[in-house]
Amino acid sequence: MKRMVQWGLSLFFVLMASNVFAAVEDLNPEGKFKVIPGLLMISLLILFVLVGVFAKAKNTEDYWAAGRGIGQMGGGAAIASNWMSAASYLGMAGLIYLKGFFAISYVLGWTGGYVLLLVLMAGPVRRYGKYTAPDFVGDRYYSQGARLLSALIVILISFVYSVGQYKGIGMMFNWIFGINYQTSVVVGTLVVLAYVLISGMLGATKNMQVQYVVIVITFFLPLFFIANKLGYFSAVPQIGYGAALYDIGHGGNGLSAELAEPSFYLPFIQNTAYHWFALCITLMLGTAGLPHVIGRFYVVPKVSDARWQVVWGLFFIALVYWSAPCYAAFAKFSNLMGTTGVAIAPDAIVVNAAELAGLPEWFAGFLAAGAVSAAFSTVGGLLMAGASAFAHDIYFRVLRPNATEETKMKIARIGTVALGLSIIVVALNPPALIAQIVAVAFALGANTFFPLFLLGIWWSRTTKEAAIAGMIVGLVVTFGSMLIPKTSVLAYYVPFTSSAILGVPLVLLVMIVVSFMTPEPAREIKELLYRVHNDE
Amino acid sequence: MEKQGLGTQDININFFKPVGEFMTKDVAMTKIILAVWFVAVYGFLFLLVMVADPNDTVQVTLSTGEVVTQVTGKSFLTEMRFLGFPFHYFYMAEFCIALFIAQCWWYCKFSDDLEAKHGKTEKKPGQPK
Repeated sequence: MKRMVQWGLSLFFVLMASNVFAAVEDLNPEGKFKVIPGLLMISLLILFVLVGVFAKAKNTEDYWAAGRGIGQMGGGAAIASNWMSAASYLGMAGLIYLKGFFAISYVLGWTGGYVLLLVLMAGPVRRYGKYTAPDFVGDRYYSQGARLLSALIVILISFVYSVGQYKGIGMMFNWIFGINYQTSVVVGTLVVLAYVLISGMLGATKNMQVQYVVIVITFFLPLFFIANKLGYFSAVPQIGYGAALYDIGHGGNGLSAELAEPSFYLPFIQNTAYHWFALCITLMLGTAGLPHVIGRFYVVPKVSDARWQVVWGLFFIALVYWSAPCYAAFAKFSNLMGTTGVAIAPDAIVVNAAELAGLPEWFAGFLAAGAVSAAFSTVGGLLMAGASAFAHDIYFRVLRPNATEETKMKIARIGTVALGLSIIVVALNPPALIAQIVAVAFALGANTFFPLFLLGIWWSRTTKEAAIAGMIVGLVVTFGSMLIPKTSVLAYYVPFTSSAILGVPLVLLVMIVVSFMTPEPAREIKELLYRVHNDE
Repeated sequence: MEKQGLGTQDININFFKPVGEFMTKDVAMTKIILAVWFVAVYGFLFLLVMVADPNDTVQVTLSTGEVVTQVTGKSFLTEMRFLGFPFHYFYMAEFCIALFIAQCWWYCKFSDDLEAKHGKTEKKPGQPK
C-alpha cells in the first residue's frame, strides 16, 4: 500500500514536471503570486460558506412561504447562479474573441433554450411530481433498466460538464497563484471538493443568491472601466461595445482601416450558416434536456412559481449574456491596437480584457475571483447531481432498496469524491476550449433527455423499449461525433459540439418507430398524463 | 388528485391531438410561442443568407481540407448601424435575448390566467406526490 502511494506520488510529480500536457497556455509565465486577486478569491469562498451557514435556519418551505414575489426572484437567482459556470463567464467570451459572430450562437443557444424548457417542460414536469430526472424516466417508462441507464447518463453529463469547469478553475489558479496549469487543476479540485463537502455538511446550500450577486458584480464592474479606458460609451457598456464592433470591422477610434478585421462581425466568414444553426439548435435543445436544470422545477411548491422563476432566471442570466460579448469585443480591439506584454489565452480573455485595457491588477483579479465563484457554484451542483444519481437512483432504487438514509448519505459523499477526482484525469489535458467541452455536455443532454422528456410528456404511446433504444442511439451519436476523424465529411456536417442536429431527429424517429412495434403503455400512465396536461 | 370525468374511454395524449379544454388551449399557445421563437432566430439567419451581397466572397478551408468560396454575409443588415452596432449583431446578441424574456413572461401570464379560469390552482403549497 505504502509503495503504491510512493509510486503514485512520484508518477504524479514526473507528469507535472514533464511536457506531456502542453495544451493549455501558461497565463503566468513568471510564476508570480498575485496577492490581491488571491485574497479576493479566498475571501469570496469563505463568504459563501458563512452565508450558507447563517441562512441554514430557513428551510425550503419557509423560504417559499416568505413571500411569493421574493420567492420567485430568489428562485430565479438560484437558477441563474447554478447555470452560470466557467463556460458563461470565461468560455463564451473566449469563443466570440476567436470566432466573432459565429460564437453568438452560444449566447442565443444558452438563452433561447429556456423558452423551450418553459413552454414544453416546466409545467407538466412539475405537475408530474417526481424528484429527479431518473425518477421521472423510471416511473414514466415503468422500467428499472431505463432508470439505471438514465442515471448513468446524468453522471456522464455531470462529468463532461465539469471538465470544462475544472479547466476554468485551473487557468484562474494558474493566473492568480503562478503555479502551472496541471498543478492548479489538482489543487483546484481539492479546494472544490473541500468546499462542496463542507458546504454540504453544514447545510450551506442556500447561498446561491449570494453567489449570483457576486458573479454579476464581478462581471459588470470592470466593464465600465474598460469601456471608459478605450473611449467607448461607458454608462451602459453593453450598448457601448456596439461601436467597438464597428471599429474592429472598419477601423476608427484610433484603429487604422488596414488593421481592421471584418471577419469579427460579418456573419459567414469563419463558418457557414449551417454550422451556426446546428450549434445554436443543439445548445437550445440541450438546455431543455439537462437533468440538473429540469431538476430545479421539482422543489418549487407551486406550478405557477415554477414557471415565474424561469422568467426571473432568464433575466438574470441575460444580464451576464448581454455583457460577455463586450469583453470579447474590447479585448479584440485592444489586441488590434497592438497592446503587448499580456499572456493571452482565449479561455481567459475576460481577465485578459482588463489587462489589455491597462487597468490596475485588481480589476483582473476581481474577474478571476468571479470566474472561480461561477465555476465553483456549478461544479458543486453538478457533483451533487452526479452523486445523488448514484446514491439515490442507482444504489437505493436499484441495488439496495432497503438502505438506510445514513448509508445513502455516505454513498453520496463517496460518490462526490470519486466523481470529483476522476474528472482530473481528463481535465489535465483538456480536449478543447471550455465552451466547446460544455457544448458536448449539452449535446449529450439534447440527444438523450430531451427526447425522453418531450415524448414522455407529450405522447402517451411512447414505450419503455423506445426509451431505452432512444438513450442508446443518443449516446452513440454524441460520442460517435467525437470519435470520427476530424477531416471526414461526416465530421464536417456533425461537429462534436453540434451533434444534436443529427442526434435529436434520429432519436425521435427511433423512439417513435420502436414505440409502434412494442405493446402500448398501461392505462394508468395515460390517465396520469391526462391529468398532468389538464391541471387536475 | 382525484379523477374527474375521465370515464372508461381510451385516452391518448398527443401534442398534435390535445384532449381536454385546458390542454387544447395550452397547446395552442405553445405553438404560437414556438413559431415566433423559431422564426425570430433562424428566420433572421436565413434572411442574412438571402440578402447577402453575392459579390462579397471569401475563401474558406473546411475541416475536410476542401477550399470553398462563400459569401461573407455582408449586406444592408450588417452595414446599417443601430445604437452603434452593426444591425444584425444588435438583433442577435441583444434583441433576441430580450424577446426570449418577453416570450417567457407572456407564457407565464397566459398560464396563470388559464389556471385561474379553470379554478384548479392548487389549494395549498406543499410537496407533490
